[in-house]
Amino acid sequence: MVQTISHGSGNKINGTDPALKPRLRRRSVFEYLAWVVCSLIGAGILFSVSTNPNFKWDVVARYFTYETIINGLVLTIFLTVASMFLGTLLGLGLAIMRSSRIKPVAVTAGVYITLFRGTPVLVQLIFWFNISALYPDLTIGIPFTNIGMAVDVNSVMGPITAALIGLSLNQAAYMAEIIRGGFSAVGKGQIEAADSLGMSGAMKMRKVIIPQAMPSIIPATGNQFIGMFKETSLVSVLGVAELLQSAQLIYARTYETIPLLIVASLWYLVMTLLLSYPQSLLEKKYSRATSRLPRKAKKVVLTEQEGVAR
Amino acid sequence: MSTDGTIHARGIRKSFGYKTVLQNIDLDVASGEVCCIIGPSGSGKSTLLRCINGLETVDSGVLKVNGEDFGYYETDAAYHALSPKKLAAQRTRIGMVFQQFNLFPNMTAQENVMSGPVLVKGTDKKQAAKRAQELLASVGLGAFGDRYPAQLSGGQQQRVAIARSLAMDPEIMLFDEPTSALDPEKVGEVLAVMQDLARKGMTMVVVTHEMGFAREVSDTLLFMDEGVIVERGAPREVLASPKEPRTQAFLKQVL
Repeated sequence: MVQTISHGSGNKINGTDPALKPRLRRRSVFEYLAWVVCSLIGAGILFSVSTNPNFKWDVVARYFTYETIINGLVLTIFLTVASMFLGTLLGLGLAIMRSSRIKPVAVTAGVYITLFRGTPVLVQLIFWFNISALYPDLTIGIPFTNIGMAVDVNSVMGPITAALIGLSLNQAAYMAEIIRGGFSAVGKGQIEAADSLGMSGAMKMRKVIIPQAMPSIIPATGNQFIGMFKETSLVSVLGVAELLQSAQLIYARTYETIPLLIVASLWYLVMTLLLSYPQSLLEKKYSRATSRLPRKAKKVVLTEQEGVAR
Repeated sequence: MSTDGTIHARGIRKSFGYKTVLQNIDLDVASGEVCCIIGPSGSGKSTLLRCINGLETVDSGVLKVNGEDFGYYETDAAYHALSPKKLAAQRTRIGMVFQQFNLFPNMTAQENVMSGPVLVKGTDKKQAAKRAQELLASVGLGAFGDRYPAQLSGGQQQRVAIARSLAMDPEIMLFDEPTSALDPEKVGEVLAVMQDLARKGMTMVVVTHEMGFAREVSDTLLFMDEGVIVERGAPREVLASPKEPRTQAFLKQVL
């Protein structure tokens, strides 16, 4: 500090104006201790990982962009996107059913959600894969009549179909709860206002409830998406050659188990990190107070600092 | 304003569980009449208002709005609830203004005003927009059509809400404590719009704590307490010389 602006009484020490002195944060002994301990642990792990030859980093590098692995990754991405899409659609339907005033409709959705959230998704996947044991010939038609068509379940229910059905149906139950939560966040007054204008149920849903529920539904859906990406690894038990199964196929042949698991894990990690960035943007956007305003309104309320985020 | 604009109620009863909120309410509002309802909170005045446009259902009694049984059709043995479609059609003839405005936050002021005609009546968008602009101008907000509710003050929002209800061309307007959620300085602008509406001959039922408004604008004043209409009459008389001790006690507190 070279300035010596004197403010009022001149009680200066060493020539620095007290009004300009920085305020320092207090550091406890625990803080210093934490630095030392955590650094030691980190260094130890890093040393072990880099020096233990069994990690075989050269093998990891070789297989990282191997064709089988990339094909597996592509299938994983497909399963994630497809089952999220189907699950969200079905979940929306379930959420609407769940909030229906007609008892049997609401109960049906409730039972579905309970069943699919109450049992492990791994069990569900194996169940769908083996559904042909339960219904070898599925007849889709009206009960107790001859109208309908017969399907040979065994030929239809391949591993990928079973995986897609299992993941989608399970995801639908979770999405239904997320969407219903969004619905219930819409104020009662909004529904009353729509009612008093004479809006029909479907109109209320489309024009009033869903647009206002979106800010709470979208970030949660992003989270589910990231979760689903990792959850797809479960379908490896059905023999679907997604990312994990592709790695397993290779190490079954070469016995380089750990390096290939690292390859798969690195891909999961990379994809999760890539998805986390847009996810954090979504969360930031929808957690802001002004987020209830649609895009057009931003033009008016925009201040310069806020503009950077878009 | 077309046909009727009357409200007739006989022996209305309503309870929430064990709690009786309306007991034996008789009410007659003529076309073009302004009726103010005052009373302490929990007296059932808001519930009565909400029954008139079906946000609450009555347990028993006769309720005729715009000359027809509201929400139900009568047979020899009972009243049967109307289909949602028919109920909605009846509701379009009754405007409702809420204490908390309840504008749709995802729509601009103009879109809010247009929402009823376009979404419910299927009015042509251009025509509805023109009408919305006129209505907004009539409540003094002609320049605010492209604002979102969050960008408007409470008083402005409430005026938009009134315009939104008027866009449906209702015969009756219901106001549920329309100025209670407003800053004191914004109350006047909303009351002015309501006074203007009364002058134009709109049938209005207003639940309010604004005694000045009740005195100047209303034709009839009702005082409610514990689910009963305790006293009714010309507003100046009721406010100046209440007959019932309960009314006297209440007015002593608020005036």
